[in-house]
Amino acid sequence: MTDYPYEEIIERARKGRKSIYPTRDETSRFSVFGADIYGKSRRFPTLDDILLAPPQFTPHRLEKSYDLIFREPFYRDVNTDRIIGGFKTTLPIIQASMGSPEDWNVVSTYSARACAELGLIYGIGENVAATWGYDTRTDPKQPSLMDRILTYFEHRKEGYGGVVIQQNEEDATSELWNRLYSDPRITDFMHEGLIAFEIKAGQGAKSGIGGEKIVDRDTALRLQDKGYIIYPDPEVVEQESYERHSSPDIFTADIIKNRILKLRNDYPRTRIWLKTGPYRDLSELIRVAAEAGVDALVVDGKEGGTGMSPTASLQHLGLPTLSCLHAMYQARKEGITTSFVLSGRISEGSQVVKALALGADGVALGRPFLIAANSYPLAKLFVGKEFYKSKIIKRLARFVVKPSERSVQYISNYIETLRLEIQLLVSSLGKYSLDLLSDEDVISTEQRVAQVFGLKDSFGPLSTPQTDIDLIDQRGYTEITG
Amino acid sequence: MALQQYKSYTPSSYLETLQHDPFAIISDPVMQWVYETYDLVSQSMRDYLSKDQHFLEFKPPLIGPVTDPGTRGAKQTEIEFYGKDYKFMSSGILYKQLLAISREEAGMPGRIYFFADNLRMEPLETANTDRHLAEFIQVDLEMVGADHFDAMEIAEGLVTSVYKDMKLHESKLQTIWERFAPTWEDRGLSPRTSLTVPSRFKRYEFKDAVDLLLAHIDEYPQVIPEMEKRFGIKATKLRHDAELPWEYEWLLSSLHEEPFFIHDYPRGARGFYDREYESKPGILMDFDLLMPHGYGEVISGAAREYDHRRVIPRMKESGESLSKYKWYLSFLQKHGKPTAGFGIGLERTVRYFCALPSIMMALPYPKVPGVFTP
Repeated sequence: MTDYPYEEIIERARKGRKSIYPTRDETSRFSVFGADIYGKSRRFPTLDDILLAPPQFTPHRLEKSYDLIFREPFYRDVNTDRIIGGFKTTLPIIQASMGSPEDWNVVSTYSARACAELGLIYGIGENVAATWGYDTRTDPKQPSLMDRILTYFEHRKEGYGGVVIQQNEEDATSELWNRLYSDPRITDFMHEGLIAFEIKAGQGAKSGIGGEKIVDRDTALRLQDKGYIIYPDPEVVEQESYERHSSPDIFTADIIKNRILKLRNDYPRTRIWLKTGPYRDLSELIRVAAEAGVDALVVDGKEGGTGMSPTASLQHLGLPTLSCLHAMYQARKEGITTSFVLSGRISEGSQVVKALALGADGVALGRPFLIAANSYPLAKLFVGKEFYKSKIIKRLARFVVKPSERSVQYISNYIETLRLEIQLLVSSLGKYSLDLLSDEDVISTEQRVAQVFGLKDSFGPLSTPQTDIDLIDQRGYTEITG
Repeated sequence: MALQQYKSYTPSSYLETLQHDPFAIISDPVMQWVYETYDLVSQSMRDYLSKDQHFLEFKPPLIGPVTDPGTRGAKQTEIEFYGKDYKFMSSGILYKQLLAISREEAGMPGRIYFFADNLRMEPLETANTDRHLAEFIQVDLEMVGADHFDAMEIAEGLVTSVYKDMKLHESKLQTIWERFAPTWEDRGLSPRTSLTVPSRFKRYEFKDAVDLLLAHIDEYPQVIPEMEKRFGIKATKLRHDAELPWEYEWLLSSLHEEPFFIHDYPRGARGFYDREYESKPGILMDFDLLMPHGYGEVISGAAREYDHRRVIPRMKESGESLSKYKWYLSFLQKHGKPTAGFGIGLERTVRYFCALPSIMMALPYPKVPGVFTP
């Protein structure tokens, strides 16, 4: 055996340009694609390289017992309410703004209902109205944009939640935000401050690359008309499928700042969110966006937003989620108080608590909602399995695993496990409010991680005789305390 | 009988009647005088622009591949044009810039104007401002080699000229005023018995206008709940870096006795075509003209960006796709030069001179945002 990439070269030689994109089967709701984001081996640290470090002495626990009138605090006493980007939520977990892929769209209203009942913030990605209809469904089996929004508001837990809606260039052509802003059915929610418009300035696994998609001929012709770049030109070359490229958009510090101000000006009754990707100048972007007064900044680490990304970009583009968290951590030290939301391969309560301890206000989850929504009996047989690529198995899986109302319960169950984990872990740190979490609650077993964040290394001091204070001074940080 | 009529002319009962029996309203002699005023104001504007100022009137396009994207929160209307998506004009701004420059390059005066039909699906909250219609006429002009201050001079001249012409018809206006006087207080409008042709209009920089409002609110905090009641909304925060919200614009207008300009708006407030000062980044070379006594804005104008390298980043700020504007950008690249212009709302002007409680009464078939009427 050799590790020379024989097979990859043969694949490229046989399939040509198509081979650098995942196939349609691979991007369906049971696929493994994108889950394997590290390539052949894990090459960078993740949240798993950080550990939570409970203390023996718990003054906050003592204090909490005064409020509880003489009873020891219990994990259920941990209050998980948060305010993120202007919305109140019962958990620091947001359903990430996922867009039009059909396997997500078909369960998106179930997720809307689950999020609404749980009191979570619900995101809607780009291209939904353009693909599945604003109001009237383009496919009777597929919910439209309004189906998602109205389902959410029909079930919303009083006093909690909110809906975050993206608009890309194609949506802009049909003026999605303007249309929503003047839609009488949601005007009241707009006035209550329950709607945010989210600028999309990046996505985890394809930072710096626009939306990439393989589309059929009819779609190619329609989209070419709307200004997308289609390869090859469907007017000239007739074939079954085409590459659809959309622009990664153009930003400078000035453009971002003014786009935020412009939205604030045009839509004074919506919150303004900004979603970005794992860019190397993330720290600068955070400063600019915070100064322009954005309500929340969602940062997708390279492990996130895998969607239809070319394999090369999945493996080689962008900062890992943990580095993005570091940029948030630094911004907190600079005194920036804007809401930060971290995303990118987060699926467990422990990861949420770690992110919060290091400066995030919340996390956004995408794929976990998709998988949870599809957790029907026998789902385990198919989800994430290589053999799912087989056409027969795929057909069988679709037959066995049909979307239904049960998805609501599955998502709720899944989220409740995160709530329990978060409460257990936060209580173990002797704290009963998420606001009290801080970097004192985490350590790292990875020397590099400990060093970059200025955390305690669980195997002792970083180098010989230095006090914590010396270390901090050397790095130019000032310690923040809970 | 007379009292009965007043009651039926509050904006809400007016709309109700209009839905079921438009003839009853349109055939009312007082309303006919309003429509005559509409005609007089139009003629007065045409006289001033065509005869006094040598502007040429063009018939504006009704539909096109792109239209003005800079209308705050208002949606455009799409129309299918032989398989392509066209827009109904929300304003002809991009088209008038090209007309003015082409006319100038042809050796004629580079001054043009439209009486342009505009269609804007305004947010529903504008149904309460008494000065938004989804369908309206804008007298839209553009002049080459001018900046916003030059355009303000034309604006002042135009409005003053309409004042003078309307003064000649004062007694007719007074009959109209009498009809609507009982509704004024409720709509936040000051009483009026005569028309005074104003002297030189006051000019405020935007930041000074905001400061003036902030100081006023500081002194009279009770105006906030008043505004909220008047517009049926929760007042938004007043900011130095965004357009004045409707409710504050009304407040500022009600504090004035004569028309006044606000100029130098912040960059986020307007579309990509309003030029930014090179010496004052973040500030636009633009202006609004507000009528006094609570009637508010009638004119919006600016010097234009004409260098495509400055327009492209501004387009990206609005999230616009560049390919939509290919023809416009290549025109700027080849022929871009300084122009300035403005649009004046015809119905708003008529509303002001007739002292109507709401703009919907300025024309026989008004389209109020979200209300279905003939």
